[in-house]
Amino acid sequence: MSITRKYLAVARVNYFTSVNYLVNVASRGLVVALRVWIFAQLYRATYNLSGEESIGGLTLPMVIWGLMLTQSFQSATRPPVARLIEDEVKSGTLAYSLNKPVFYPLFHCAGYLGRILPNILFNLAVGGLAALILVGPINWTVGGFILGLWLLFFGYILDFLIFFIIGLLSFWIEDISAFIWIYSKAQLVLGGLILPISLFPEAIRKVAELTPFTQLYYGAARLMVQFDLPTFFRFFSVQLFWLLVFGLTAWFVFRKGLKQVAINGG
Amino acid sequence: MILGTSFKYLRSSLAMTRAGIASAMEYRVSFIMQVVGMILNDAALIVVWLIFFQRFPVLNGWTFQNSILLFSITTINFGLMMIFGRGITELARYISRGELDSYLVHPKSVLWQVATSRTDISAIGDTIFGLILLPFAGISTWPQVLTFALVVIFSALIFFNFLTIVQSLAFFFGHFEEAAEQTMHALLGFTLYPQSSFSGILKLITLTVLPAYFIAAVPVELVRHPEPWLLLQIFLFWLASALLARLVFRAGLRRYESGNLLSVKM
Repeated sequence: MSITRKYLAVARVNYFTSVNYLVNVASRGLVVALRVWIFAQLYRATYNLSGEESIGGLTLPMVIWGLMLTQSFQSATRPPVARLIEDEVKSGTLAYSLNKPVFYPLFHCAGYLGRILPNILFNLAVGGLAALILVGPINWTVGGFILGLWLLFFGYILDFLIFFIIGLLSFWIEDISAFIWIYSKAQLVLGGLILPISLFPEAIRKVAELTPFTQLYYGAARLMVQFDLPTFFRFFSVQLFWLLVFGLTAWFVFRKGLKQVAINGG
Repeated sequence: MILGTSFKYLRSSLAMTRAGIASAMEYRVSFIMQVVGMILNDAALIVVWLIFFQRFPVLNGWTFQNSILLFSITTINFGLMMIFGRGITELARYISRGELDSYLVHPKSVLWQVATSRTDISAIGDTIFGLILLPFAGISTWPQVLTFALVVIFSALIFFNFLTIVQSLAFFFGHFEEAAEQTMHALLGFTLYPQSSFSGILKLITLTVLPAYFIAAVPVELVRHPEPWLLLQIFLFWLASALLARLVFRAGLRRYESGNLLSVKM
């Protein structure tokens, strides 16, 4: 079996496992729709109070569609890869996983991407319907959509790398929950999941856009609702930087972790 | 007799919780990391709203200080519920795997046994964080402090009843773990936002299906402006939710089938 087909098979198995529990997929989608509803009421009140048509370059429909997208993208990644790795370490099945004829990080990456697909499709369908009913449509562009997908793909790889590194910490630390929480909250604060980065005060916005958290899902969502090429190049260059940093870190931590596992007898 | 039985259950609950915390404290580093990690996790949420209210200082009469009071109440009531009754969040999993058997053979309430079977150590961090926020929440009189203590207890009990109802749906729907977890997150989601922004059908949802109104909005209003009518509302809702929770759980328990799984309780 070629290498690509091997990891595609892993992705396919995880896709069908995810689809098998439709109640779980549906519940995530419905929670996204509920959040869109909450945001619509919250931001409608704020825009009415401000009396302005657009704030930070975004109209109310753009804000709501943007939040729907970031929530849909982020919600699709559950359960976190870090928890799966932690469970493998605690149960000892890590020994079997490492002995398989697959490269462990790629194995988990393929599984991660396979699990995301049904969730993201349902989230976007239900969340999109909610946004359409609550605030109406916005002007989509082909360029924004395609380049947004490009940023989203690499955003997911970046998210995987960060969660993978956190998961590998379980090779050394008994309980990695604190790290998962801190990362999740960093996503919430700087990932545009509650407050779009464009609405941040200028000084904070400039710093936020340089962090990896903004380049997970917000960059893609922002580009899809309001496309401009310079923003794409700016976001992608920051994304590439963090992909390099976390990619190298993941490689280094994984190699170190393998030695740790070998010392303890596997 | 009812009072005597209730006192016995309360004493047993305290003993179970004490044992759970003592057990967790055997791993000091992990214990401290969970508590501190959760405090940092909660602090990040406040940062989002700090940035939001810098941009939009007042929202239908709701200010940042109201959000601090809201967070103080919700983190403490959630914390108390998870310290003393964390096990209730596992009920759906026990049901789907047929793991309730060991609880059925003991001469104590099955629901109580399930609820006290686990203690969430990170919830200590939630409770501490809520107490840290208290001086900044605009509480300045002893009646407000006493009202605060009262509403926190009632809202924690309402939260527990809500979780009992949702988790008990697993008796009727089978694999319901993730849907139950998503429903809890949906409720928690409502408690994060300025309560003055909800209106219409969404407000109706917070009064009924996802009772954020009684867990968040009413407690905040009661502490700000103590009124007997609001206290009666929260008391009556607690009573109704307790009766409904008992009804749903007992109806579901009659349908329960063992999974023939051998499990060890340690």
